[in-house]
Amino acid sequence: MTINSKTLAALLVIILFGGIMASSTLGWWTTESTKEPVKFSEGEYAGQANPADIRGSYTFGDVANAFDVTPAVLAQAFGITEGDPAAFSLKELETIYADSPLEIGTGSVRLFVAFYTGLPYDLATAEETYLPQAATDILLEKGNLDAERLAFVETHTITPGMEASTPEAPSTPEAATTPAAESTEHTTATVEPYVIKGKTTFADLLSWGVPQAEIEKLIGAALPDPTMLIKDYATAKSLDFEVLKPALQAEVDKVKK
Amino acid sequence: MIKLFGKQIRIFRPRSIWIRKVVQWFFFAFIALISINHTLVESGSGIPFLASASLHALCPFGGVETLYTFLASGVLVKKVHDASLVLMGIGIFLAVLFGPAFCGWICPLGTIQEFVSGFGKKYLRRRFNHFVPFKLDQVLRYARYAVLVWVIYVTATSSTLIFEAYDPYFALFNFWSAEVAPTALAILGITLVLSFFVERPWCKYACPYGAFLGVFNLFRIFSIKRAESTCKADGACSIMCPMNIQVDTKTVIRDHQCISCLECTSEAICPVAKTVIFTSGSVK
Repeated sequence: MTINSKTLAALLVIILFGGIMASSTLGWWTTESTKEPVKFSEGEYAGQANPADIRGSYTFGDVANAFDVTPAVLAQAFGITEGDPAAFSLKELETIYADSPLEIGTGSVRLFVAFYTGLPYDLATAEETYLPQAATDILLEKGNLDAERLAFVETHTITPGMEASTPEAPSTPEAATTPAAESTEHTTATVEPYVIKGKTTFADLLSWGVPQAEIEKLIGAALPDPTMLIKDYATAKSLDFEVLKPALQAEVDKVKK
Repeated sequence: MIKLFGKQIRIFRPRSIWIRKVVQWFFFAFIALISINHTLVESGSGIPFLASASLHALCPFGGVETLYTFLASGVLVKKVHDASLVLMGIGIFLAVLFGPAFCGWICPLGTIQEFVSGFGKKYLRRRFNHFVPFKLDQVLRYARYAVLVWVIYVTATSSTLIFEAYDPYFALFNFWSAEVAPTALAILGITLVLSFFVERPWCKYACPYGAFLGVFNLFRIFSIKRAESTCKADGACSIMCPMNIQVDTKTVIRDHQCISCLECTSEAICPVAKTVIFTSGSVK
């Protein structure tokens, strides 16, 4: 069979729009988010909405519809004082907290909702997720955090006048006096760069002034690729990062005193 | 039509498949209006009786991008909607029948590239579309498969729409939005500038969806076919082809870059009737 341009044009339009109409009839044609997070499919929480699927296009109202948390609580947690809390869009958080040295955004809402409601959440994916102090205060007041989550919020809270708190963060003069990045009334964070964390590389240590020889002495080998994460190196060499970290931190503190 | 030496010769032939332009600009306007309306609706207003949809939902490539995540975990990559999967299915169905007709007839990014190319053809004349050295061009034609593999890989491993930051289609219909990454705007700008010199540069060298649909050229049902018995071998079909396919050296076009635009056929540039045709059957 041979077809010409007019026939092809007609077929393309008919098939395209016909397919869309057919899929619409079958309920498959959705062009907007349903504002309903996916649900846990198995385990103790099967059938409940998964906070990890909260999206930036949601409003606090959408979140409240899916989880046992009110827009007012969310607004209080994230310092939203103006307008209708239910209509507040999550993606606006990144704008409001744009100057924060540590990101507060949709991920923070996911984390807060999971902790507030007691639903499961993979903390391994939340390493770079932080909460405002107000959110942490609400969680602590609610009192339903287990030890792991309690430790997590302690290390992932942006408190006024200091960086996200970390258990090993020394209260060095540098930490207290580094100029703070003024952002909003909710977050006034101080950048404290001399604390070894999971994301610290050997290059960071060298740039902080730790002699290469000292590093090599502590790791018991020649300096690897400086861009390598210390944590990854420890894992690769079967070293205990929690043992290596304080030793290296002591060297950092020496040169920074 | 006149009969000359026993062959049907068309004297006044159309220079282009005009119906294709109509379809192309219809879809361009359609997508543009929906995208504008989406922005208006988000800001509290909107055009009555006009659909509002996220641009991601109107892109069949979104379905390809999310396919791995969908099959592996049953969920779509964030920002991709069910409509993308539907469009992907329709796109595949069309491609099995007609090859990448989506590229040649529907894709608005192809339309805007052809629009800019119109100026290139006017000012550069015969030099237009012949700037890239042949050997280099032949190698670069496969770069879009590398882009396709990269996009699928990074989307599968990150479960986020990484390609959005580089997507000129998204930039074209959202350039007014803060959602568009500067890289996407830059790629759109480069694409449009290059379109002045080369026909459909994005489609030829970088489009991952074109790469995906291009595979269907190998086994599509309707193909461009050339009847050797009546062919004058004047090379008009090859000169006209926007994708630089040497139509006059083949009897069946299975080239992965064919976009089924029909510009090479006897309905357009070929002066001999029923010599280059779009058919599911065979020609002599």
